[in-house]
Amino acid sequence: MDDETSHAGISRRQFLKGSAATPLALMLAGGGIGAVYLRPADARGFLLRPPGALPEKRFLAACVRCGMCAQACPYQSINLTGGEAGVGIGTPVITPRQIPCYLCQDLPCVKACPSGALDKKLEDIEKVRMGTAVIIDRESCLSIRGLRCEVCYRQCPLIDKAITLELRHNARTEEHSIMEPVVHKEKCVGCGICENACVLPKPVIVVQRVVEVQKDSYDF
Amino acid sequence: MTFKWRLPRRALQFSAAALIAAPALGLGFFRGNLAAAEFLGVPLADPLAFLQALIGGRVLVLSYLGSALLVSAGYFLLGGRSFCGWICPVGLITEQGDKLSRILGRAGKGGIPLASSRWSLLLVLLTVALTGVPLFEVLSPIGIVNRAIVFASLLPLLLPAAILLVEVLVSRRVWCRSLCPLGGFYSLLARFSPLRVGFVEERCTHCGDCLEVCPVHEVLAPSLKQGAPQVTAGDCNRCMACIDSCSTKALKIDFSYKRSCTR
Repeated sequence: MDDETSHAGISRRQFLKGSAATPLALMLAGGGIGAVYLRPADARGFLLRPPGALPEKRFLAACVRCGMCAQACPYQSINLTGGEAGVGIGTPVITPRQIPCYLCQDLPCVKACPSGALDKKLEDIEKVRMGTAVIIDRESCLSIRGLRCEVCYRQCPLIDKAITLELRHNARTEEHSIMEPVVHKEKCVGCGICENACVLPKPVIVVQRVVEVQKDSYDF
Repeated sequence: MTFKWRLPRRALQFSAAALIAAPALGLGFFRGNLAAAEFLGVPLADPLAFLQALIGGRVLVLSYLGSALLVSAGYFLLGGRSFCGWICPVGLITEQGDKLSRILGRAGKGGIPLASSRWSLLLVLLTVALTGVPLFEVLSPIGIVNRAIVFASLLPLLLPAAILLVEVLVSRRVWCRSLCPLGGFYSLLARFSPLRVGFVEERCTHCGDCLEVCPVHEVLAPSLKQGAPQVTAGDCNRCMACIDSCSTKALKIDFSYKRSCTR
């Protein structure tokens, strides 16, 4: 009885508060959903996935966001994305500037993946194509400017295969040589160790989306 | 008898949350979360997450299929929505919200029919088939809470917070009751499961205590109003709150199949 009278007594206030809470909650939910949905997963640029990841679109569907790859990674290279990744929320990503992929021979992340989003057919770590390293700022690269840096080359786990040094004459000093690091995309696995190692505050060599090797008339 | 189901149920709900947190604390016997996990070497998988990965990713990993079937079989035996009542961390949170809601007395009970969760399930499966976006893995408050526990990604918690707000202020437990696609999936699975809440009409005084505590009170109505000997609806959470609340022991756990229409 008591309950009933109190209900009748505050019904208008209750109604107003209820109707104020509903739009607020809907806005919160809508905003949250919108923030997730209005963006594709890589809207803020290329996301470096762990070794063996399926092509991005299928990966997004096949990954169940369980985080077992991240838990299996001995170097803690793999993190899970937050809302900034859009529909990719909760999917694994490697941020080379923090911790790159150190290319474990036994592929613990691939073994941990239950759903096949990281392809279990991958056996040889050197066959991985997570991405391709690219020198994005030649004018800042210390080696290309004629200094003896070559840190990316020395750190590369596929030294002399994925990154080689190309020597040429330094026209500016007239007596030195320039030792330019050159990435070979058909060998580069995209581990990001070079990006991690680059000595400049903003790395001039970064891992980007895999570029397909294309045949042209220059190939005989 | 003073035994209450509430205690073991709470214990299991908290242990499930603790298990998910275990790897972050450096314990190795559990990995993953409620989408997919490995517990003491046994791979477990959420069957709905499996379906989405299969449809959207077009990959079939046999061990994953096996673990999804294992979990499905377990929930089939126990009654599918026992996941909601005994394991799901979102259920644990919204139950607390429900208590608050009772105190405030502001939110309505019912509103959206229970079967809506099946439409959510359909929406999820259609979305992943047509667009390749695993809708429920993206938006799942369960996954968000899981990742908040393990990886401390706290910002997406806004979504479960919004759900909680709606449930406290507008419609009590509306997400868990009527909207969660995983709940919809498990309720389909639970429709034919052997473990049920049984009803002994002769002992019932029709006091209504059970209807008051039941989060999905619609499922009790056929028993109480028409005297059906078992709660057959798949939406029953198997939370046993009705059994706990019944002072005359008119409600009990039943294992066998009985015809639901005796009169």
